[in-house]
Amino acid sequence: MKDLKHLIYFENLLQEANNELVQQAKKDGLRAIGYTCYFMPEVLLDLPGCFSVRLRAPRCTSPDIATYYMSARVCHYARSLMERALEGGFNFLDAQMATETCTATCRFQEHLQQKHLDSVDDMRIIDNDDFFCEFSDVPFKNNEISYEHYATQLRAHVLQPLHDHFGIDISDEAIRKAVEQQNEVSRLINEIGDYRKLDNPTITGYEFHVIQLCSLVCPKYLILPYLRETAEEMKTREPDMKKEFRCKVVLAGSENDDPDFTKLVESCGARVVVDRYCYGAVESRQIIDLPDGVDPVYAIAKHYLHSSNCPRFMPQDEMRARKKRIAELAKEYHADGVIIASNKFCEYWSYERVIDTVILKRDFGLPVCSIEKEYINTASGQLRTRFQAFVESVEIKKIQEGK
Amino acid sequence: MNKICKFFLKLFGILFVVNAALFAVFFFDLDGKLLFNVVEPFLKKHYDNMDRKDTLKAPYEIDKFPKYDFNS
Amino acid sequence: MAKKSVSKALRDFWYGKPHTAEEGGRRLGELHEDKTHLYKHREWRGVADTMYYFYNIWLYNYIFMVKDIMVMHGPITFAKGLWRYRWVGQTYLPVLHWFDRGLEGMRGEAMKASAWHYRAMVSTTIRQFQRMFAADTRLHGGKQNELYKHTIAHNETVWGGVFYPWDGEITNVPLEMIPYFVTCHVNSHTVLNYIDAVQSIGLPGDPCPMCQAESGIFVLDDVPDYAPAVITCNEACDASVSTSTLQDWFFDKPLFSLPMPMLFDDPLVKKYVMREIEELWKFVEQQYGIPFSWEKLTKKLELQNELQRFEWEKWEVAAKSDYYPINGVAQALYRIYQTQYGDWEIWHVTDKKVRKILEKCVSKKINSFPQTRHRVIAWSCAPLYYSNWCTWAYNCWGLNVIINMDSLMFDMEIRTDSYEHTLEDMAQYHMWAPMRRMAVGGMHHMFELWDYMKRFNCDMVAMYDQLQCKGVQGLHGLFEDEFRKRDIKAFWIPHALPDSRTVSRAEIRRLINDYMSTVMHEEPLDPSLLDFDDSMTW
Repeated sequence: MKDLKHLIYFENLLQEANNELVQQAKKDGLRAIGYTCYFMPEVLLDLPGCFSVRLRAPRCTSPDIATYYMSARVCHYARSLMERALEGGFNFLDAQMATETCTATCRFQEHLQQKHLDSVDDMRIIDNDDFFCEFSDVPFKNNEISYEHYATQLRAHVLQPLHDHFGIDISDEAIRKAVEQQNEVSRLINEIGDYRKLDNPTITGYEFHVIQLCSLVCPKYLILPYLRETAEEMKTREPDMKKEFRCKVVLAGSENDDPDFTKLVESCGARVVVDRYCYGAVESRQIIDLPDGVDPVYAIAKHYLHSSNCPRFMPQDEMRARKKRIAELAKEYHADGVIIASNKFCEYWSYERVIDTVILKRDFGLPVCSIEKEYINTASGQLRTRFQAFVESVEIKKIQEGK
Repeated sequence: MNKICKFFLKLFGILFVVNAALFAVFFFDLDGKLLFNVVEPFLKKHYDNMDRKDTLKAPYEIDKFPKYDFNS
Repeated sequence: MAKKSVSKALRDFWYGKPHTAEEGGRRLGELHEDKTHLYKHREWRGVADTMYYFYNIWLYNYIFMVKDIMVMHGPITFAKGLWRYRWVGQTYLPVLHWFDRGLEGMRGEAMKASAWHYRAMVSTTIRQFQRMFAADTRLHGGKQNELYKHTIAHNETVWGGVFYPWDGEITNVPLEMIPYFVTCHVNSHTVLNYIDAVQSIGLPGDPCPMCQAESGIFVLDDVPDYAPAVITCNEACDASVSTSTLQDWFFDKPLFSLPMPMLFDDPLVKKYVMREIEELWKFVEQQYGIPFSWEKLTKKLELQNELQRFEWEKWEVAAKSDYYPINGVAQALYRIYQTQYGDWEIWHVTDKKVRKILEKCVSKKINSFPQTRHRVIAWSCAPLYYSNWCTWAYNCWGLNVIINMDSLMFDMEIRTDSYEHTLEDMAQYHMWAPMRRMAVGGMHHMFELWDYMKRFNCDMVAMYDQLQCKGVQGLHGLFEDEFRKRDIKAFWIPHALPDSRTVSRAEIRRLINDYMSTVMHEEPLDPSLLDFDDSMTW
């Protein structure tokens, strides 16, 4: 296929957290607000006057100093973020909006937090006098009480601090404007992503992953023009004459902000058509429905709890529905199989992977490849072998089924 | 009177012997040794050889249970 | 010379050998059989204490265990359960050895008081498993009897107090406390079957082994089917959330989740938990058809408050004097068991007995741990398979564990003057559960260590290092920095909670021995305890 015009540009943007567009936004006088988790609604961090940056630590393979602080037995992603922060890679941040949603990233963010306590010294990791880190409590349930609680938390621990520290406009009007911008990003990403539903998709999983990540790590108002152009470009993009893949897969699992992992999967003959993982578009690019007259913060709280399929949810109906959701995605995107990839030391997805591997295969008839991965995976020969074997098995199954 | 005395003497004797035996079990950890060397291995063998159902075959009906939300 | 040795022998017979490294000291290590830690013979503690141990601990507990079984659903029920469930037969028969390990070397009032704590835990354990068996459909030809219909299952991390409104009508029995938690202390090998089982279905080896085992008992089909509904809860970690995914699959019953927020300092969070507890109550009413009773709730809470008040008295004595007659392991286990399970009659009976002993020690200035060289605070979560490490540490090095982190949770009374106040306090109480109280909601909770060190007059820290606990691992470096900065004597105890294979007991002892000899430059009180092989012990 013809190269996407901005792909190299997007790839370059992903090389550093403090990329060209982030620097531009800072020059424009906007405040950079970092976050790690889907449960920190990015739309509230994109209010006029600030912009959201979902944190990554690209190319971090040896988080040595972070390992001293956090030990070698926690998620490599959290340690990599800590290492990058210690290196000064996040000094551009003006605030970190944190959630205690996953133990390891929570500890990382606690290290960033200036607590001014006698009991433990602040490390002053972010070298920025204006910097603060605020935590919000996130419910484990998707019910009415939880929507109300979450909305209260977002007002108290996200909006109010942004207003108090930086004078950010947190009025309903400002929020609605941010939602509009977010929805435009989502529409464009979905539009681009829908090409993966084609019999011969005109976008690879890798390309989509890169674009989706850019929408998370770059200021929305600056990345939008590029997204619009890309969406336009996609309308006329022709697929390869010969399919370059042998099967289509849903990629589900833990945090995954490494497009080279998707590239690795696709180099083994699979085409990733759905990204049902943390940092994926399945959840983060759903349109936020904000009818007139509705409290926008409540609506946003409800949206983020309702749209998430995070294994953190504990109610019985939620736990069971998650498996169905993956099967539905596979059907919607005509996927032949599912790759479930949990990060090493990610407890949520370690358990989820166990049950998904059995249920998706047994009850939904979907071939499943169940693997554990690191934060950075390009050099993994073992994974390559697993994916190649999986692709072959899916192919054989398709042949046997006469597809 | 003699009979009563004899009875109590006999009773005392039995109690003394039982007490001494129990003390011997206690002091030489005979209960522990019996459990460790005989009872536990026997039971473990039984548990290891029990027929157990394959829990991976347990059904998983997605929509079996409702949402327990009493506030909606 | 001969006169001296006869006189010494008589003294040793009457009083027991002294706790000293000198010639003629007690040498507890020489009592153990190699590998198994069975006793060549149990310790002679002097006439009075040996007779006490024999009659009032060993014999008493055997007799009362039988009595408990007879009274609580009978021996046939017990036999059926024992034959069916590994965790009974492999664990609970050698329970007196659990006493032996925890009370090793103890004398006098401390031996008596600590043993009462163990007795209470044993009785409550029997009550729970007997109830499980009596209600278990598997042991009753698939029938759901009346006991089944009046029993509710829940994660062990759900505080039993939420069921107080149904006291006497619905019996709550935690799913994992007896099949998993208590077994780790009594026989550390049982749990390994469950950890291996869950790993055999694909779970990696790194999640918290407690959570692994909690899932593994289901994988091995070793959980009685004793209740029509279940309540789940998270603990302090991600794995505790995820465990319920597997448990739900295998248990397959109506399930209500009562997850606790982590950021419990936030007053906004409390209101949320209050409403969630009310939701739980509605669920119970719906499932069992028995209405909520405010009177029962307040009555039980007031009884519970009595237990809490006594605990505070105990802490006062422990903090401000040398007369505290309870050893580290009895303190830790009793506290966590009692508070997590909820109010029960046996706790009051036990506290009454212990109070007498405590008052005697205080009034007569009896120092139950006279060889204390260091007052130790144990922080973070303890190795379940070696919870009696502190008994060994006192015997070998004079390290007296005065208090531990998990004892300090649930540190509050619950008001009963109004519904609103009660619910508020219940919400707070539930959020302050073991591990949660310190391990989450901000790292400053973990660093409350310094305040508690001061409060309990401790000069040394035993820092538990649960290798698979992501939350505490995430603070490892900061603790190292703070220990150095504050010049605190601290040693790390690495472990894998219930899994003795990762760090053996011998390894834990070696690390402590190294610290005490190379850093503290001290000599052991009992050199026979320095190095021995207990690799096969319960």
